[in-house]
Amino acid sequence: MYLKKECIAMLLAGGQGSRLYDLTKKTAKPAVSFGGKYRIIDFPLSNCINSGIDTVGVLTQYQPLALNEYIGNGEPWDLDRTRGGLSVLPPYQGQNGSDWYKGTANAIYQNIEFINQYNPSNVLILSGDHIYRMDYSLMLRQHIKTDAACTVATITVPIEEASRFGICNTRSDGSIYEFEEKPKEPKNNQASMGIYIFKTKTLIDYLRIDEADETSANDFGKNVIPNLLHNGEKLFAYQFDGYWRDVGTIASLWESNMDLIAENPPMNLSDKSFRIYSRNTARPPQFIGSDATVENSMISEGCRIYGKVENSILSGGVVVEAGAEVYDSVIMEDVKIMSGARVYTSIVDADATISGGCTVGKAGADKNDITVIAKGTVVNTNVPEKA
Amino acid sequence: MAKSVAGIIFSSLNQNTLSRLTADRAVAAIPFACRYRLVDFCLSNLVNANISNIFLVANYNYRSLAEHIGSGKDWDLARRSGGINLISPYQSARDASAKLYKSHLEALRSMGDYINEMKEEYVVLMDADTVLNIDLRAVIASHEKTKADVTFVTKTPDKSYSSKNPRMMLSSVAGKITDMVLSSVYTERNPELSLGIFVMRTTMLRKIIEQANAYGLNSLTELFFDSYKRQNYRSYCYSGHVATVSSFLDYYKSSIQLTKNAEARDQLLGQRDASIFTRVHNSAPTIYRKGAKVSDSMIADDCVIEGTVINSVLSRGVIVRRGAVVKDSILFQGTYVGENASLNCVVTDKAVHISEGVTLSGNENMPFYIQKGRRV
Repeated sequence: MYLKKECIAMLLAGGQGSRLYDLTKKTAKPAVSFGGKYRIIDFPLSNCINSGIDTVGVLTQYQPLALNEYIGNGEPWDLDRTRGGLSVLPPYQGQNGSDWYKGTANAIYQNIEFINQYNPSNVLILSGDHIYRMDYSLMLRQHIKTDAACTVATITVPIEEASRFGICNTRSDGSIYEFEEKPKEPKNNQASMGIYIFKTKTLIDYLRIDEADETSANDFGKNVIPNLLHNGEKLFAYQFDGYWRDVGTIASLWESNMDLIAENPPMNLSDKSFRIYSRNTARPPQFIGSDATVENSMISEGCRIYGKVENSILSGGVVVEAGAEVYDSVIMEDVKIMSGARVYTSIVDADATISGGCTVGKAGADKNDITVIAKGTVVNTNVPEKA
Repeated sequence: MAKSVAGIIFSSLNQNTLSRLTADRAVAAIPFACRYRLVDFCLSNLVNANISNIFLVANYNYRSLAEHIGSGKDWDLARRSGGINLISPYQSARDASAKLYKSHLEALRSMGDYINEMKEEYVVLMDADTVLNIDLRAVIASHEKTKADVTFVTKTPDKSYSSKNPRMMLSSVAGKITDMVLSSVYTERNPELSLGIFVMRTTMLRKIIEQANAYGLNSLTELFFDSYKRQNYRSYCYSGHVATVSSFLDYYKSSIQLTKNAEARDQLLGQRDASIFTRVHNSAPTIYRKGAKVSDSMIADDCVIEGTVINSVLSRGVIVRRGAVVKDSILFQGTYVGENASLNCVVTDKAVHISEGVTLSGNENMPFYIQKGRRV
């Protein structure tokens, strides 16, 4: 029998991330590299442990191999616990057959047994595709204080972008009276972050109702939250005012990486009071060679730089040979950029090689025109061919 | 079944000649090559040879060493069976005279029953002050093949070799050790430097300790000198890069050498199948700001570099402000170098603060040392 837990987390990590194209062809979105030494999933997992949540179910589905290997037993995030800790929850076969996770709500529905094991008072629902640092315990405190059936974390977005999000319309006390998924004419700019805390009983009741409804898309934003409101349940918004980015597109992934090397970065990764943990790869220190130039860049362990790197983020083990140049780019693990190669405004996925004399990307391109090189590619021609 | 081998690491021999760096730490806990401590090399060599029952014999000042090791999980040594054992100095009611060890032999005696209870067939003894990345499986295989009583790992140093402490130097014929001497310089007669790595059967180790006790000897060296003519002692001559850290100057030179010698760096740190493991700190990557000029330098995570860094070794969390110049220097964890400060041949210990505009200079034979936490 487990000790009763105040709150456990369920992290939805099964998304395909199809708008990241080549980067998620063989990897689930949460396992995509970010900020040199991190993966996207490091952020919600670190948030959990930094918020005192020691039991996390990670729901996987799409291309889970790299993700499973990365999260392992949860040790890097201090989530290898005797009671609780990290559990990977793939879809499984039961007596009544088996099913893929049909939607976010269905994924949790299929794991009600897991939740019941811990008998938590509350369940925190997270998604694995956002970059942010958030103390969930503050949200939980508000959730308990307001006695809400469900609390939805919200963030202020520019009003012109509000129609891309789920928008919470609230009363002056913060209670939600209306939730509009991607409204054409948004009434305000408080967007749902896809982070919810439910009373466990409310969650399970509504997941069962949702499952019974054959017309439902089994999605929290589209179905479950509106249904709670419809039935007059008490919903509150929790306003988060820190840095938060959905990195679901190439443009946003690149832009969010670039935020890290801004003069005053909106998120400081070296803040020791709220560390972001990641799996360590035992690489040697970085080495910067004789004629190298490295400016306005973030460089990780194991990099060897003999060429020029400007305005870029380099993951572990990247080699930039003498005479190679890298500008405004995100370079993932163990990429080799050979002498004479040029890389501009690109995302180069792990293990790729850019051969000498090749030019990748377009100098000074904007965020909507990022060149992406898939994992392991050996580039022997210019990409795109006519720059 | 895999051969069963145990490891014993002596954490604090030669403490006296490294006094500045060991005021607050054991020899094994001295930082090396940005992100490591000396003990990481011993531990990684053992772990990479599938040796997972390891005894680390502590002496005084072992707090930072104990903190570094933790449960041993960063070396995959947090095990139900075996793993890492930190042997702290021990006094009992039976023997209140137990004191801090000064030699291998005293350290082994301080391990008491551990050695009698060892189940492993072989044992590898290692000194923490020798930095190398060696395949111990090859050493053990050679030990078996030559039916040696003890195998000494050695290295033939340059003719210019000299050390502050006399060390065991030896000569061998077809691997069989034929002469031994204590020397602090290279000699033609005994050109092989013993690296303080010994392989033997556990039964042999027990016998050696018994004999030394019976003859009233104080060190393994004395015992080896007494017995090499009778015994099959073998030399395993290692050809890769080795740094012996027996004095502050040794330490300085072998650290700076890593910034100048790519081959040494690769042999020590760049081997794909033989990584050097260390405690994981989860620091952010290092940031180079506009105007940074860095060349021939090894740099750890979580540094912020705005100024100039040449031929230097920077540990975690070092900040080099705009206009500052750091040359031929070793900066320990958390060193702050203010704007327009200038450091040449300087070693700053942990959390040193160099204020704006300060100029400090040593020379390559007498580097300037600044102790832990000092503000300059």
